[in-house]
Formats: sequence, C-alpha cells, structure tokens
Amino acid sequence: MATTKTHHLKHWDTLHNNGPFKLKKLYITELEGDGIIPKKIDRYNDAVVEIQRLIKETFNANQGFRAYGSAWSLNHIAHHKDCMHYNGFMNIHMPIQPENLHSDTTFKAENLFLFQCGTTIKRISEVLSSHGKSLKTSGASNGQTIAGCISTGVHGSAFQVGSVQDYVVGLHLITGPNIEDNVYIEPESKAGLNDAFAQSISKKIIRDDAMFYAALVGLGSFGFIHGVVIEAEPRFLLNRYVRKIDKNVALQLADTLDFKNSPFKIPEETTPDGFGKTPYHYKVFINQYSDEPEYVVELMYKNAYKNDYKDPFPIIKQSLYMDLIHLFTKMAENWPKSIPWLIKRLEKSILPKVDEDLTGTLPEIFWDAPYQGGAFACSVGIDYTDSSKALKLLCDLTTKEGPIPGIFAMRFVKQTKATLGFTKFPVTCMLEIDGVLWKKTRKIMSFEAYCTRIIEVLKQNNIKFTQHWGKGSNWAYNGLVNYMYGNDTVNNWKAQRKKLLSPEMLHFFANDFLYETKLAADEPVIHPINPQNEDLIT
Amino acid sequence: MKNSIKIFTLIIISLLLSSCYSVRLRSINGAYQPDPLLSRDDYYRGMEVVELDTVIKIDVVSKDFTYLIKETEACKSGKLHTVEFKNTFGGSLLSVFSFGKKRKLKVKYVCMKPTN
Repeated sequence: MATTKTHHLKHWDTLHNNGPFKLKKLYITELEGDGIIPKKIDRYNDAVVEIQRLIKETFNANQGFRAYGSAWSLNHIAHHKDCMHYNGFMNIHMPIQPENLHSDTTFKAENLFLFQCGTTIKRISEVLSSHGKSLKTSGASNGQTIAGCISTGVHGSAFQVGSVQDYVVGLHLITGPNIEDNVYIEPESKAGLNDAFAQSISKKIIRDDAMFYAALVGLGSFGFIHGVVIEAEPRFLLNRYVRKIDKNVALQLADTLDFKNSPFKIPEETTPDGFGKTPYHYKVFINQYSDEPEYVVELMYKNAYKNDYKDPFPIIKQSLYMDLIHLFTKMAENWPKSIPWLIKRLEKSILPKVDEDLTGTLPEIFWDAPYQGGAFACSVGIDYTDSSKALKLLCDLTTKEGPIPGIFAMRFVKQTKATLGFTKFPVTCMLEIDGVLWKKTRKIMSFEAYCTRIIEVLKQNNIKFTQHWGKGSNWAYNGLVNYMYGNDTVNNWKAQRKKLLSPEMLHFFANDFLYETKLAADEPVIHPINPQNEDLIT
Repeated sequence: MKNSIKIFTLIIISLLLSSCYSVRLRSINGAYQPDPLLSRDDYYRGMEVVELDTVIKIDVVSKDFTYLIKETEACKSGKLHTVEFKNTFGGSLLSVFSFGKKRKLKVKYVCMKPTN
C-alpha cells in the first residue's frame, strides 16, 4: 500500500524562493515497493486509493488541497494555504502496447507512454532514450514534473512543435474521494487508448475535445493529475549554434521567422540552393542596458540521431557562484544605477558563449539547472509579429522606470490547442525577463509594481498578450485573464471545470491563485451535469 | 620588521585559504533524491543531502579505507548522484601528524532518486 507522511508546517516556498506562503499540512506519498506489489499497473492503481484517502481526509477536515511536483513555478500557482501534496516520488511509467490502442487512433503504440504525475522531464527523457525515443520539446531545463509542466504550460523555443502539453494524448485525473472520481480524458477527435486500457487505470472515460483541452492547462484545478499519456518521437540530435548578429537582423527574424530569406545564415545549415534552413529552435538574448549593435542568438537545427557525436557536456553552461549573485543583488537594491554595470559584468556568465557550437540530444542540451539563489521571471506571450514592438516597449519600461536586475530573452512556440494555453497565437513569442529577486527600496520599485507596469504598458499600446502561468505577474490585476483570453474562452474553461468536478470539489481544488485571477469565484455552485460527449463505463 | 610580519601573515593566510577547498562530482544521468521540505538555501536546495564530518581511524595494517553508502531514509536508492569532498588545513595537518592514520572526512553526498 502506498504510504503518506504528513508534515505539519507553517510555511511553504518554491524552489526559487518566491514565497514563503502559509501552509498547514504537507503530504508526501511514496509508492509500495515492487517486492510487495510486483505489477506496475497494480502499484499505479494502489496510489489512486491512497490519494483518494488523502482527499477524503482533507475534505472532511474542511480544508482544500493542491498537488505539486518540483516547486519550480516562480509564483503561488502551486500553493494552497491548507494542504499540499508533494508527488515527486510517484514516478511509474508504462509503455503503451499495440493492444492498448483505440481502434480509430493514428498514434503508433511505440511512441506512447504513460507517466505518473511526479515523473520529472529528466526521468522521462531517460526512459524514452532507452526506447530510442525523445520528447518533442521541453523547457530550458529538466527538473519539472510532467504534471507541473502541462498544468502551467512549460515551453521551449521549438516554434514548429509547441509546448509540453501539446504532445499529451490523455490525462488520468482523480477528481474526488469516491471510487468513481477516477477519470481518463482524451480528445474525441484524436483518441489514443482503447476502453480496455482506460478501464484498467480509471473508472470513467471521457472523450471530449472541449473537456480535454480545458483540463490540459488546468492550473492544477481540474483534480489531481495522476497520469499523463504522452506521444514521443524517434530520438534526434540538435546542432546548437550561438552567434552575435546585428540587432535589426535578429529582430527581423523574430518578427517574421523567415530564415530562408534572411541575410543571416549558418553556413552549415543552408539548403543546396543557398537558402537558410528553418531551425528547430530560435532564441534571442537582449541586454537592455547595452548599446552594442548586436544581440546574442541561439539556433538549433534538428537532425537524425547517430551515435558518433562529440560529447557536449564540457561546454554546457557553468553555474554562477551563488555568493556573487547574492552580493550583486544587495548592490542592486541599494545602488540600482549599478545594475547595468553589473549585468554587463555578468553577461559572459549569463549568456551562452558565442561561436561555441555543440551537438547533443534534447535532454543533453536542456540539462540540469543548478539552484542559483532567489530568482524572478516575468514572461509575456505575444504574437510573433509583435516581437520587436513589444520588446522595445518593455525594454524602455525597464531602463527608464527601473533599472531591474534581469535581462530579456525571446523564445518562439507553436500555437497550442489548450483552452488556457498562453501560447495561443499562431506562433507565440515568449518575451521574458529573468533575473535575481530583489527587495523594494526607496531607490528601486517593487517586483509587484514592475509586473503591474508590464501589463499597463502592453495594454496602453494595444499589444495583445498572455502571461506564463508559472511566472511572476500581478495576477490580481483587474480583469487580467479575461483580457488575455477573452470572455468566451474563459467561460468555456470554467464551464468544463464545473462539468468535471462536483460543487464541493470545485472549491476543494481551487486555491488563492484561482480566486485572484477570478477563474474560481465565490459564486453559488452549480450541480454538475453529465457531459454529452462522454463514454461512461461504470 | 613590521613589513616582514605582514608578509609572513599574508603568506600564512594564503596557505590556509588555498588548503581549504572542495571538489564536487555529479552524475550526468539520473535525478537526485528530492527534499520536498526545501530545507537548504545553497547549491543543494531541493536535494536530500547527507553530510559526514568525522575523523576516520585506519589501523596499522590497512592501506586504505572505504566508506559504504547504505540505503537509508535520506538515501533511498543507495546509489550516488552527487558527492562533494572538502579538504581543510586542519584535516591536512591531522593526516600529516598522524602519518595518515587519522583522516578528516568532510563529505556531502546526495543519492539518486528511486525509480518505480
């Protein structure tokens, strides 16, 4: 039987010190050993019993509940003031067999895998590599759990691929304390698994596009994500190049993603007729405090996997000495005018080294990111055609009303189908500023004020935008989510949540983040109705 | 005379500082055993760290010493992910004056996260 340790705590914090936040109880569940329960599927289902016991216990105590994984989000989206559940030890995986496939599916069984919620991206990549497979994309590192990634929309810069949630085939959710509150959801238009397999892990199957795409980026509020079925692809290599190029050329590429006709080319990555190839990944680094005429850009080109490539690890980026970061933060708080100078000094450590090319697999290139002290990140999603315009606005804000101890970068992501996926534009430019956390002083504005100004500046200039769910913002900004996604989309997301969860569980799985963003409201709860497009099996 | 004392002091401080260093080994593969309570604020934040700070005694006939890593609550897999060895001036002195029979063991290690 899976077991849970309960810690009575007063506070909880994220990995990057974005809290602390108040907490009453932290649950940590570990699975039964394979000596006691040898079959994976039995251990997987045994965990469901334990999670439902915890849900019942918490609900009976009139408290709320939220699961989380690696605590990598840089805000309070994963937090609940009552009870939180750490699921990092729940990491079973099961390859899908041909006999598990739905009769109408277009998926190949060899590419489908079920991962339990707490499996990290790193572990998933290792499992997939052993099958000759790879994730299609990941974030910039590998420590997030699969459930955390999809709940908050983790993305890389693969602008022809999408975000992590975009290769999810099905979701297994625990939606309450009762045996029947155990649901497998997949889109009706793209079914993956057959009823027999779905029945082996759940009590109810829902094949419904609207429900699936709402639950996909569910912000942790569609129940306890217990398992995620993903589609992998054959393992591949990425050739990574880092170059310093003319600012205008870098921005033109950002605004058009037209690598074919750009004056900038990587000689090794051109077609036989001399045009530039379209990369798998494009990222632009911007030091807004520098007047240099060039930006550092990172490009990656996808190639078939082969064994004989040079070990990329000697040039994987080294981490900064943490005490140095602490010192720089203190300097930034007290002497904000020193920030541009400090960032210039740090540039070589923060940015990838120019002209240091490498080849590696996805998990090798997007490897571990050691903890480097308290960090902040704000990330807005904009249509890629607005990239340079939005960048100028936010750089001006940061230099004129700041300075702020961070630097900008732009990454590009293909459109998601997830209802509240922030990569909602045909190609979304994720314009982000990352840096070290600072405290407000008389000389430097607060982080909250800076986040508010980002929203105001984009609104004033009529730039349509979204914000990364796992990063910093003024989430309580009036009407923010409706402004970003539109009333219909937001109402649809809420309606699907109401359809899936009982009135009690709607509140149970909501947290302060959801109330602040008005995605959950203290409104009279509506009794759930049976979804029209679902297949009930019990 | 005063200058000589200053130079001598500087040399001693330099020796002391340079004799205190640490080396970290980290596996490329595998995930570390997590510390869900996030009880640290250093490089090891989020990792379940085991710290050893002891003196090992080696008898006359032994040539070397092997410290065994066992499965414990803080090392569920019994397999190593990261090891950091720290050498100090005191540790070096102890080894020198005991003819290698007493050795300062100042080590941090993190085990692999168990997989299911």
